[in-house]
Amino acid sequence: MEKGRGNKKEEIDDMVGVKNNDATLSVYSLGRKPSAWETLSSEKYFKWVLLIPLILVLLIFMLYPLIYCIYNSFREGGLQGTIFVALKNYQVMLRDKSFWVPFRRTIEVTAICIICELLIGMGIAMLWNRDFKGQNLIRGLVLLPLLVAPLILSLVWNFLLEYNIGFINQLLNVMHIGRVKWWDSRIALYTICGITIWQWFPFSTSVLLAGLKSLPRDVFEAARVDGSSSWFTFRKLTLPMLSPLIVIITLLRTMWLIRLFDPLYGTTRGAVNTELLDWMVYRTAFVYFDVGYASTLAIMCLFITIILGALIFRQLIRALNAANK
Amino acid sequence: MKGKSIFKNIIFWIITAIILIIVLGPLLWIYLTAFKSADDIMTGQFIKQVVFAPTLDNFRRLFTAFPFFSSLLNTLITSIGSTILVMIVSLPAAYSFARWNTGGGHLLFTTISTRMFPGVVAALPFFILFQKIGLLDKHIGLILLFMYFNVSFATFLLYGFFRDVPVELEQAALIDGYGRFDIFRRIVLPLVLPGITTTAVFCLIWSWNEFLFAFLFTRNVARPLTVLISSFWGSIEVQYGPMAAGAAIGVLPTLIAAWFMQRYIIRGLTFGAVKG
Repeated sequence: MEKGRGNKKEEIDDMVGVKNNDATLSVYSLGRKPSAWETLSSEKYFKWVLLIPLILVLLIFMLYPLIYCIYNSFREGGLQGTIFVALKNYQVMLRDKSFWVPFRRTIEVTAICIICELLIGMGIAMLWNRDFKGQNLIRGLVLLPLLVAPLILSLVWNFLLEYNIGFINQLLNVMHIGRVKWWDSRIALYTICGITIWQWFPFSTSVLLAGLKSLPRDVFEAARVDGSSSWFTFRKLTLPMLSPLIVIITLLRTMWLIRLFDPLYGTTRGAVNTELLDWMVYRTAFVYFDVGYASTLAIMCLFITIILGALIFRQLIRALNAANK
Repeated sequence: MKGKSIFKNIIFWIITAIILIIVLGPLLWIYLTAFKSADDIMTGQFIKQVVFAPTLDNFRRLFTAFPFFSSLLNTLITSIGSTILVMIVSLPAAYSFARWNTGGGHLLFTTISTRMFPGVVAALPFFILFQKIGLLDKHIGLILLFMYFNVSFATFLLYGFFRDVPVELEQAALIDGYGRFDIFRRIVLPLVLPGITTTAVFCLIWSWNEFLFAFLFTRNVARPLTVLISSFWGSIEVQYGPMAAGAAIGVLPTLIAAWFMQRYIIRGLTFGAVKG
């Protein structure tokens, strides 16, 4: 027992990197009981004291909605009160087309956006992976849309794509291509994809460009001397070396894309076959105020994201460790 | 051979120019529209879309006919308030995670998973709670919600910055007789100041841009800028002019931040995994 404790203490000391624990010693050598402040900022407790605010926030802001949703997912009713219905909500959900259609659509949007962003991003990164005049200026300019509110950008695009007065349609008209009904129910979803891709391809471009710049030059030099074609070099050298970055981009973008809400509000508001998962939960909760069913949908969304979250977390930690080596 | 490389160069610059036009065009359009008169906005004549007599009418209408300044103030209060709260929570936590790996990774994972927590999932429980305790349409309610969705991001980003601080430095300070708290305050914090600034600016921007919570939890009193701007797109009439003017002002801080934080944007957006 005593020995086990000692090991534990040594372990902690090893972690901190202190062989002889001066800080604790100095406190006890005062010859009196340490004050509350001294105890709290001692080696043993300080790391937990630092976490108190975070743990409080997590308890309130994570546990509360979670318990609320789980509890109400077994119940039925609105704001006035709910009654227990066991698994009925879940059974309804499994057969509910108005859930599965947005669900499939969300996956579709996520896939389309990520593939397009990666392709466009990779193309531009390859194009700009050399020294040219004003390269820093141009790379900085491309980053500009990234931090702008998605809602405002979607409003601007809605205006640009307006059938009669929108600039894009007027341009197409002048070029004799003809106006396009961008918000037609057949293509509205893809228009929204386009807006999202437009805002986020600079992200892929910049990440991949940073990756390309850090690749070892001599390997590519050797491949060139050996006379391998540029497509072969790209496939066998560039792509494998960039794959960790591609994984990170894919995971992070997935995380943002399954949460897509703002561009819908700025454009179609869920009409014309564009309703996505979060919009559907929003509508159930805040338009119909169907507390029970909304909670069930919310739990489902959470379930999907937790699986995804575990994947992302492992990749991020791995990348952080690799970057620190 | 030489002719070919010049040709390649021209192609390169044409493609680069097209990329820039596509990226910057819509942003520029906000500012063009903001200075157009109502007639010029609604015109069907193509040439008038680009060549027009600039006017400040839209801004004048925005300032007088709509509660623009109070919305701007609301946005400022909620962004700054939530960022301060986030820092109080995240700074010590991130340091603890980075130095002692407190909780063996599980706690850090729990923290980051709040970021994956769908906003709409949390919205309903909080809406009902806030209704009961009277936090709807109050600044403090919005500040708390913004803190909630920024804390995980800030903690993780700061975690990366704290890990860059060499542990030897802290050992030296320990031997010199510094207490743990003094080491944190006097030695570690100044070293990660650039990281703290980056994180804080990101938190400010996320809160500045936030729409879902702002839209659901405010009516008149605490209504921030994004919600005001979205309200110009009514179901009956669209107020293009004031909308563009409002967007022009609302977007400006994020554009400036994007320009001056170039070096850190990628690091921030990838939670520190890619050091751009």
